[in-house]
Amino acid sequence: MNPAEELKQALPGSVMSTGMQVDKPLAVIKKEELLAAAAKVKEMGFDHLSVITGIDYTDRFEVIYNLFSYKKKENLVLKVILDHNNPEVDSLTSLWKGANWLERETYDLVGIKFAGHPNLVRILLPEGWNGHPLRKDYDMDTEQFVTIGEDGEDIVSTDGSNLLRRK
Amino acid sequence: METEELLINMGPVHPSTHGVLRFKLRMDGEIIKECTIVLGYLHRGTEKLAEMKTYLQFIPYTDRLDYVSAMPSNYAYVKAVEELADIEVPLRAEYIRVLVMELNRIVNHLVAIGSLLMDLGASTMMMWGFREREKALQLFEMLCGARMTFSYMRIGGVREDLPDGFIPKLKEFIEDMEKRIADYEQLINNNEIFLMRMKGIATISAEEAINYGMTGPTLRGSGVNYDIRRLEPYSIYPDLDFKVCVRSEGDSYARYIVRIDEMRESLHILRQLIDNMPESSIIATQKYGIIPMTGAPYTAQTYFPRIFTPPAGEVYSRIEAPKGELGFYIVSDGTTKPYRIKIRSPSFCNLAAIPQLVRGLKIPDLIAAFGSIDVVLGDVDR
Repeated sequence: MNPAEELKQALPGSVMSTGMQVDKPLAVIKKEELLAAAAKVKEMGFDHLSVITGIDYTDRFEVIYNLFSYKKKENLVLKVILDHNNPEVDSLTSLWKGANWLERETYDLVGIKFAGHPNLVRILLPEGWNGHPLRKDYDMDTEQFVTIGEDGEDIVSTDGSNLLRRK
Repeated sequence: METEELLINMGPVHPSTHGVLRFKLRMDGEIIKECTIVLGYLHRGTEKLAEMKTYLQFIPYTDRLDYVSAMPSNYAYVKAVEELADIEVPLRAEYIRVLVMELNRIVNHLVAIGSLLMDLGASTMMMWGFREREKALQLFEMLCGARMTFSYMRIGGVREDLPDGFIPKLKEFIEDMEKRIADYEQLINNNEIFLMRMKGIATISAEEAINYGMTGPTLRGSGVNYDIRRLEPYSIYPDLDFKVCVRSEGDSYARYIVRIDEMRESLHILRQLIDNMPESSIIATQKYGIIPMTGAPYTAQTYFPRIFTPPAGEVYSRIEAPKGELGFYIVSDGTTKPYRIKIRSPSFCNLAAIPQLVRGLKIPDLIAAFGSIDVVLGDVDR
């Protein structure tokens, strides 16, 4: 029995479906139950959170968690499907400290909110940036200019008014 | 006595930040109370650019992630696409790929150790490391004309076969390198100042390191016997004999020693590859059945279609890059361009542990700890 099936048996209410992602077992989790399911998965020995990926499918968002167990040498993929209007899911920072930056990056670039995250601010782009670039409806024609203010804070404008060399 | 907290800004442009990275340090006297990392100065939107490029066009962008070791980045990407499209790669191509990747691992560790020692104020190792690195870069130049941004891998194989005279030059390099590593050890390993700066500094336990998602020499330095080349063998690694280098201390010194040991293992792998290099084509042809023009040279360009369409699907594929786990999550919607590419870079995840590592240490220790993690900012910011 693969770990995805195992998880389904342990938490039948929170696993919507199971399958395979190429050669890795995959479980689709109800978004409300993610934290509980992830805690269970960690208990099952999946101690390494490889990566968190957010994907914009224009009608929905998907967040994918790739996990690995150093003890059992097994992979597991968790997936949650979120509404396009208000994508929000529980943060896993309480389980994996590594989730902190990965979630911040997903928030920054894809615009998915992680409830309960201790410091959900942009990480790669400056604070104040307009839009989330990895969304499919991101406006790529608007230029944005970034400068640093007196106290090291980021200043972003779309008309170049913050630049010394006026545009 | 009452002390006042001091906020110190370090970077973004600072010789010890190995690129453009900013530390905001809240200090109590000389002790770091809190370290906040500000990054993104080198963010080029690689993942967004990927959505606008064909699968083949994206290969050069992977060079620019971890520019110190571009071959593994190349490979991680083409491997993910090959898994997605189920392409079988000829044996000789796999041998050449592993050969260049292991050579690149040595180059990466030379830069890592060199710049670590430079940060600590010992410039000899930087000079020595770059001297050997130059020889390796000349080998790469022979192979593909580039010294750092190779774009050498192709989906289904490699771009060109090994040129004449490559193997003898490589053998020379290996022989030379063997002696040089002994030199490095003699120079560094028992240096009193080096030991004082590295031993017991920025220690992280195995559990914590795993919890932070640290990988590569940093995790092996904490005593976790892990290596993706062993755990999830890919390419021809199952046929190769090599040791996974592990140290249990978890401090900066352990991470340094792991790198030195890994260079030796890479040399060992290189020797096996030279001895067993098979003869076959260097690019997958069976799947596409493309017949090259008569008289056309036997290269990837003539054999592989420029427009390439993998089937719809998702894949996460990872390799053991010199810095740790490098993974590509690729979503294909069955068109010529990827729908989404997510890059899991080792530097980014390893860097996330720095604030925890340096709490309670002094600023010079931050520099030593940061150097021992081995971060390239192109890889962090993508």
